[in-house]
Amino acid sequence: MRVFTLAIILLLSTVIQSGCAFKDIDKRILIVAIGIDPAENSEGYKVTLKIALPVASVKQASGPRFAYFTEESETVGESLRILETHIDKVLEFGHVKAIVINEELFKDGIEDFMDYFTRRADIQLIAYVIAARPSAEEILKIEPDTEAASTVSLLNFFDDTGTESPYITTSFLFQFRRDYLGKGIDSFVPIIETNEEKNELIVNKAIVSGEGSDPIVLDQIKTKYYNSLFKSKAGMDYKVEDDNLTFMLYIDKVKMSYKIIEEDKKPTSIKINAKFVGIIGQSNHALSQDKLNHYNELSEKAIKEKMTDFFKTLQEAGLDPGFGLRYRATRLNSDGLYEKWEEAYKDLPIDINVTVKLKSTGALE
Amino acid sequence: MKGMSSLNPQSDNQIPHLFARLLNKLQVAGDTIHTPIEIDEENAQLLFIKSVIDGNQLQNTIIKPFFELASEKRFLQYLDSLPNKIEIVDEETLLVELTRGMLLINVQQRYVLIDIKKVNTDSVQITSLEPTIYGPQGGLSESLETNINLLRQRYAEPSLAVEITTLTDRSKSVLAILYDKEVVDTEVLDTVRKRLGQLNNPLIQSTADLELYLNQEKFALFPSTLLTERPDRIVYNLAGGKVIIMLDGSPQVTMAPAVFFDFMVSMDDHYHNFWTSISTTFLRYAGLFTCTVLPALYVAIISYNPDVIRTELALTVAGSRIGVPYPSYIEVIFMLVFIELLTEASIRLPKAVSATATTVGGLILGTAVVEAALASNIMIIVVSLVAISTFVIPINEMSFSVRATRFFLLLYATLFGLAGVIIGFVGIIMYLANKESFGKPYLKFYWKNRSEEIKGGLKK
Repeated sequence: MRVFTLAIILLLSTVIQSGCAFKDIDKRILIVAIGIDPAENSEGYKVTLKIALPVASVKQASGPRFAYFTEESETVGESLRILETHIDKVLEFGHVKAIVINEELFKDGIEDFMDYFTRRADIQLIAYVIAARPSAEEILKIEPDTEAASTVSLLNFFDDTGTESPYITTSFLFQFRRDYLGKGIDSFVPIIETNEEKNELIVNKAIVSGEGSDPIVLDQIKTKYYNSLFKSKAGMDYKVEDDNLTFMLYIDKVKMSYKIIEEDKKPTSIKINAKFVGIIGQSNHALSQDKLNHYNELSEKAIKEKMTDFFKTLQEAGLDPGFGLRYRATRLNSDGLYEKWEEAYKDLPIDINVTVKLKSTGALE
Repeated sequence: MKGMSSLNPQSDNQIPHLFARLLNKLQVAGDTIHTPIEIDEENAQLLFIKSVIDGNQLQNTIIKPFFELASEKRFLQYLDSLPNKIEIVDEETLLVELTRGMLLINVQQRYVLIDIKKVNTDSVQITSLEPTIYGPQGGLSESLETNINLLRQRYAEPSLAVEITTLTDRSKSVLAILYDKEVVDTEVLDTVRKRLGQLNNPLIQSTADLELYLNQEKFALFPSTLLTERPDRIVYNLAGGKVIIMLDGSPQVTMAPAVFFDFMVSMDDHYHNFWTSISTTFLRYAGLFTCTVLPALYVAIISYNPDVIRTELALTVAGSRIGVPYPSYIEVIFMLVFIELLTEASIRLPKAVSATATTVGGLILGTAVVEAALASNIMIIVVSLVAISTFVIPINEMSFSVRATRFFLLLYATLFGLAGVIIGFVGIIMYLANKESFGKPYLKFYWKNRSEEIKGGLKK
């Protein structure tokens, strides 16, 4: 009898349960993205929250509904605390999938506020880190025409469930932190822009930044090279020109390996082997299947030129796609090892060997 | 041909020997009858197993003619000309034939085997609790004799032992313990006998009733013996070395020991080909998991950890909960109780009306509840899924137990969220692992392939 009485009391106690953890989903608001801009009036930051509002009936909804909240404060944490007093529901950070940072902020170092995001337990480390141009607030407030109800199109760019393009760089929060703070590697973060009508999101550039060095912006071509060489993203086009023959390559497989050559315990050069497999996608002349080798050679020359350009840009800015990390990882750690690398990296010769293997001229004969 | 020589009717001394040997081997049957019939100087001897022969036929075709003819010689001639006379091959088959319902007669030092099998098909019920697509469609009857007959027809092993006792309660029902003497686990058999001896309940009316008392556990949630109505399942378990307990007047028998996984087996699994049965088994376990965990998971995710589902789903769920006045667990309890009511009503209602109950309950009320914003759309999906997957569990007893389990998990989810679901689930696993069925661990995997399993536990 006593057991039953206890059980009933326990069961009844759930009715009055309103603890701190028990919050129904309709009493929470789902933040899908956080934007950080420099404060306009004072020192500090301007935080923008993009909040997805629930849709009662997905079938009848015309489009997504979002709400935006902005607050300026000295630190990001403070702004979020103050925003809690502006909204009647619990801020749910579990669904934050994008941290959008104003491009300008990369110049002044972003360690102090990025630290906040990696420390907060409820923000998942798989959130994307994105740079915004001209400002994070503006980018967050864009609702593209292609956006459907209950979805966030901003995120579709970066997971491979939606569009897949070699121009799009993906950088997760955990990866960003490692790359940014790690020695011998720097972070590549996509830049998101908009058009004049403000109804499109455009992602085809990247910003490279690392602790202690000035960030540089990679243009479309260089971003594409980074993604295809280091992330093996396929589906890229290369334009090859030779006298009056112009053709486009459609590459579906890219493989790159590199080796750091050392002499007298000092790095002397980097040897890169890159292999491209694909077909010819477009041409202004009739092509012959027998001359594939010739086309291979033409393509190799063209690609090598672009690759050299890409690596030179990074070297000049003192930014590293990961060579230094490889060097550190494959050498016995000793004092001054990394310093030695840093010293050498700036004008380390990069020896590039490109192999292009065209499978066909792309046309049926 | 040792068997044949011993059947040689010429030798005077060997005659009683065959009967004695057969009797010795059939001793375990418990209802073997060896009886002489005589008039004046003429006599004959009959050997048969009472439960499998037709008494009327015995009276009309054997005993009556014997007294009417009143001559051994004529009687033998009469027997020889009977159409249901069976050729005797050897002693082994003779034993099998006897267990099937043949009558062995010894007249003038000769043996004659007559088929007077009792056939009781008309009183056998169609399986209603565990229907299968293939396999036998008939279940058991409510008469003990018929049931033993049915089993003997399907399991013609002389080693099948039948122990018949009478319960000491007020019903004084006849109870039979059946087992294959060669493969049965004697420890379990002893425990069953002991527990049957200890029964002191005033009234036991059915096998299900008996099962509860045999369990000897006051607050049990899961059944520790398996209640079934399928003769193929009984025979399968009999061959595997289990003890079958039958009660006169019950169309179900109960089997001991039982492990958890026994309850998840449908006899259809044996009739399908390999991949089909693997996938249906997988489906069944998935159903088991769904119907225990899903309501709890709903509460835990909706009210504690909405970050484990995709943003799109979270938005849809949040949207569908707009206007629902009560917290998620009240919503779930409300809908679960509603579904339980529906199930309970469908069981009690006469078959002709039960369709109305499901229509009114399931369709009309379900839609109306959502319209009135008493529950969310997603909740209706969860509840329907739970209800359907409960029915996937082949043994009804287990699905009743599982229905109770889900409320326990729901309580844990309500109090502690997703972590609570895990803790509650671990708790259930621990409870099951701690449970025993007649001395055998309840949650142990007895890994065996099908042919090994049929051979039984102890048969070498």
